[in-house]
Amino acid sequence: MKKGFPGISLAVLTIVVACCLACEIIMTKDPAYMDLANGNTAPCRTFLFGTDAMGRDLFSMIWYGGRVSLFIGFFATLISTVTAVLVGSVSGYAPAWIDGAIMWLTDIVLSIPGLLLTVFLQAVLGSAGAWGLAVVIGLTSWMSMAKVVRTEVLQLKNTDYVLAASCLGGGFFHILRRHLAPNFIPSVLFMVVMNVRNAIVAESTLSFMGIGLPVEVISWGSMLSLSENALLSRSWWTVLAPGIFLVMTLLCLTNLGNYLRKSGNKRHSNL
Amino acid sequence: MRKPYITIIDELSKFALSLFLLSVLVFTMSRLAPGDPLYSYYGDRVEKMGTQEQEAARERLGLHAPIPVQYVQWMKGALHGDFGISYKYKTDVKEVIADRIGNTLLLGGLGFVIIFVLALLLGLFCAWREDKAADRVVCGIGTVTSCIPEFWLSLVLILVFAVWLGWLPSSGAYSVGMERNPADRGSHLILPLAVVVLGHLWYYAYLVRNRLLEETRADYVLLARMKGLSGKQVLYRHCLRNAMPSYLSMMAIALPHILGGTYVVETVFSYPGIGTLAYESARYQDYNLLMLVSLMTGGLVIFGNMLARIINVWIDPRMSLKSGGMSGEVREF
Repeated sequence: MKKGFPGISLAVLTIVVACCLACEIIMTKDPAYMDLANGNTAPCRTFLFGTDAMGRDLFSMIWYGGRVSLFIGFFATLISTVTAVLVGSVSGYAPAWIDGAIMWLTDIVLSIPGLLLTVFLQAVLGSAGAWGLAVVIGLTSWMSMAKVVRTEVLQLKNTDYVLAASCLGGGFFHILRRHLAPNFIPSVLFMVVMNVRNAIVAESTLSFMGIGLPVEVISWGSMLSLSENALLSRSWWTVLAPGIFLVMTLLCLTNLGNYLRKSGNKRHSNL
Repeated sequence: MRKPYITIIDELSKFALSLFLLSVLVFTMSRLAPGDPLYSYYGDRVEKMGTQEQEAARERLGLHAPIPVQYVQWMKGALHGDFGISYKYKTDVKEVIADRIGNTLLLGGLGFVIIFVLALLLGLFCAWREDKAADRVVCGIGTVTSCIPEFWLSLVLILVFAVWLGWLPSSGAYSVGMERNPADRGSHLILPLAVVVLGHLWYYAYLVRNRLLEETRADYVLLARMKGLSGKQVLYRHCLRNAMPSYLSMMAIALPHILGGTYVVETVFSYPGIGTLAYESARYQDYNLLMLVSLMTGGLVIFGNMLARIINVWIDPRMSLKSGGMSGEVREF
């Protein structure tokens, strides 16, 4: 095992993902059941992490809702990665004026306030479900990765083997798959992991602000959307329990991403 | 090599064109999104209005024409400095924004300055102590803080400092009737400011650290060490100086993100700034307000990118306008 390998992070992440996938086994209560007589109960033996204002059991909700949050994280990243690789490599491989135009448009899209873009896309897609939100997040988060892919492709396209491949009649997608992608994948791999993290953050933030998932669709974000009221009723567990799980997952993903970034750089300091 | 002023003229015309395209995009997007701006103007009274009354109201607000015509109308006004009225506040949008902008500039501006200084210091410190215990501790704490979503950090800080300890206020920019009291405003600013700083600080400090570590692996460091300079001296005099251009251009890109990215914090703390306005206007179809707020924040982003490119070329003419320095920031929610 290499030095600095984030073993603990990987283990914790695996456990969280596995438990969320197998939530039926772990859950002690029905996560959607509103036990109105036991609303805002502090953590105790029946309700391990307490209950929210509507009397739902937080312990069960965390595993059940984690599924939705993780799904959005991965699916949104799939969309943003595919978009980024396509836009970035087309832009880097195309003649300079097309490249300039694509990058300029990317910058303009980046300057549209993210909030407006999200509200708009959501209105167009017209659904407040997990799939819709994942698409929205994916479509608003490909730009930085596209820029990195483009920079890499710009450097790669003048190498002899790419020139040779195109002289032999290789099409764009053939060159992309066989020659470009294998070379830029290491440098975007950490961005992919970071995108999973950012998508989970986006889901929770948007749901918290009331423009993501509604309260009935249980996710880490929608669980936290009730927590502003929880501050008034001093039920700290509704704020802390989902949040700690959220931060823990994000931390593991970050460590993994940083490891992937660092593994490319092995030289010693001259100081 | 082009002359610098030509570069600047070129960039400025690009800036104007980008701003124009941004206005077209935002205008069209806001009008294509479903939702009735009349609700923003009349509230729930819309439901009691007859069809004719609604049509008359639409006519009066200029909402009946096709989108391109509406855009030309808006553009005509905008070029004369008339951005229309806010549907919700029923006054000139410029006044609505003027009321709020000071609060956001205070929060975001102060946050930016603190982040700018602290990121440099932290990055230097960590690069100097690379892989020693101190560096690892700072990196560890930094990574954890960078993983905490802003809204949750806000909630936890409110929970601890406002609800449990009762030391600081949990919302607003000032207490009623204390608008001019600096101590009162300061106490309202501490928690939001802490969130803004903690939310961004490590991202930039870590980039500074990594950039400096790249420098320490260059050959000139060996030469300087051989001449007898201490490691610390080389770091300050040579590595830092070489890393500065890319730090400056990175912070030019960061400026709009920090200034304009305060809306999550503003919303949680009910802080009356531009962020809360942007959120309201995007959600409730307050078209004119949305246009001006978007143009301001979007324009700032485009301006920051332009500034970064100019800084790069200015300091190091070998760098063409195409390549960036350090990577820009990802979009924030």
